[in-house]
Amino acid sequence: MRATWAILRKELRVYFVSPLAYVFLAVFLFLAGVFFYLGITLTGEASLRVMLGNLSISLLFVLPMLTMRHFAEEQRSGTFELLMTAPVHPWAMIIGKWLASLVLCTLMLAGTLVFTGVLAYYGDPDWGTVATSYLALFLCSAAFCAAGLFASSLTRDQVAAGLAGIIILLPFWLIGQAASLTDHPGLASVLEKAAFLTHLRSFTRGVIDTADIVYFVGFIFVFLFLTYRTLESRRWR
Amino acid sequence: MIEARGITKRYGPFLAVEDVSFTAGKGSVLGFIGPNGAGKTTTMRILTGYLPATAGDAVVAGFDVFQQPMEVKRRVGYLPEAPPLYQELTVGDYLAFVAELREVPARGRFRRIGEVMELVGLTGWERRILGSLSKGYRQRVGLAQALVHDPPVLILDEPTSGLDPAQNVGIRELIGAIGSDRTVILSTHILAEVEATCDQVVVIDRGRIAAAGTLDEVRTRATGGLRYRVELRGQDLARAVGGLPEVRQVVPSDGTDGFELLEVFSDQDPRTAIAALAARSGWTVRSIERIQPSLEDAFLAIVGREDVVTGSTS
Repeated sequence: MRATWAILRKELRVYFVSPLAYVFLAVFLFLAGVFFYLGITLTGEASLRVMLGNLSISLLFVLPMLTMRHFAEEQRSGTFELLMTAPVHPWAMIIGKWLASLVLCTLMLAGTLVFTGVLAYYGDPDWGTVATSYLALFLCSAAFCAAGLFASSLTRDQVAAGLAGIIILLPFWLIGQAASLTDHPGLASVLEKAAFLTHLRSFTRGVIDTADIVYFVGFIFVFLFLTYRTLESRRWR
Repeated sequence: MIEARGITKRYGPFLAVEDVSFTAGKGSVLGFIGPNGAGKTTTMRILTGYLPATAGDAVVAGFDVFQQPMEVKRRVGYLPEAPPLYQELTVGDYLAFVAELREVPARGRFRRIGEVMELVGLTGWERRILGSLSKGYRQRVGLAQALVHDPPVLILDEPTSGLDPAQNVGIRELIGAIGSDRTVILSTHILAEVEATCDQVVVIDRGRIAAAGTLDEVRTRATGGLRYRVELRGQDLARAVGGLPEVRQVVPSDGTDGFELLEVFSDQDPRTAIAALAARSGWTVRSIERIQPSLEDAFLAIVGREDVVTGSTS
């Protein structure tokens, strides 16, 4: 706990003393603005559906860039040795770093509340759907960060880690489409179940399904666990 | 206290460290010397619990490194070869982070950081960004980081690499001062540093211990026993001196001013015996002195290669 907290604060400090956090916030909010404008003008609905849907795919590309430095940079600069020779369990490290990127995600998402405000001023949005959509985006972010963290543990090269993160995540986005291309009903249903979009759908309709929550929590756990295994195995090489 | 027993580390087919055993007690500074790539860093990483060993075991500060790594990590201060710094942080923030990781109690943490900064000569530098520091100051921050939790055992991998001569002296004095009530292991390939700071030496070469002991022992053993230089004037010197029971071998050579110069090899001090013999035989004695072998000589004799850096950083 103590170490997790220390690492979480350290990571946030590193984000905010460098231009990194500001660049991410700016890029993300710019994208959100564009999607919001397009969503409103194209559909004429007082809803955030278009914006939130597009933001989730944007996050798939943005978040691996946010998490790529976590372990790659520690290994490149030798600070990994500092962490591993301190009385800190690898899990404390992983959770601390994951939470730090999640805090930044939350700030990014919080920034988009401006658009919700605009919507509330000029229209009458369905607040339940807005809330579940935000929950979906948050779960998505948490899952992407976990996968990004795992990618970062694989290499000491940040750029490679960032790309690896995207490459890991992209199939989970695309297999939803792949499901409609196959004739095999069993395979189609498996692909369908493994895809992100399937599990985001009910959230965007204002429904919270336990199965979807389990999917995201499971996804996060698997990738954090893989990170743990990778860090452990690094010591043996 | 550090005790290593038969530590072996294998990277695939490559044997990095083989059967390394040594003991360093409290209050002693043990120097690891050896050519680059000899296995010094690997051995140190194993002792800190960073790397698992392939075979062997080690007890550091009373705990087994492989059974109770957390307990060992709590008691070891470690300075890796490159100081592990976060370029973006300030000196103060960085040390506060390490102190928290190292379980320095929140109460008194800032006082402790102040003390350590004073100890390594960083007072007034807490707001500086680590990425902007010079090599010498980065090294000091690295040292401060290793000391912040007041560990009984310090493991320093090339603590003076990249420092200028004045900083070198400063770090050596510091190591001497903090080493008096701790166990310190440091690695280097600068022999002058070992002479200046260490009381025990382990010479490591190609993964194996080539020699170990106090500085004097290693020097003496490596250069084939004690050596003396004797200048005498008289008759039949070499044969008579060679006949003494203390003397193993005599190598005569030309002297100056009518004196003959003898190099005497021996296992025990023959100086008084030679003086007494000279008095009995009516020789004139100009000098009898012990030749202090340099650590360089010893090192080269042990490692047996000329490509070893002996005086400067590579």
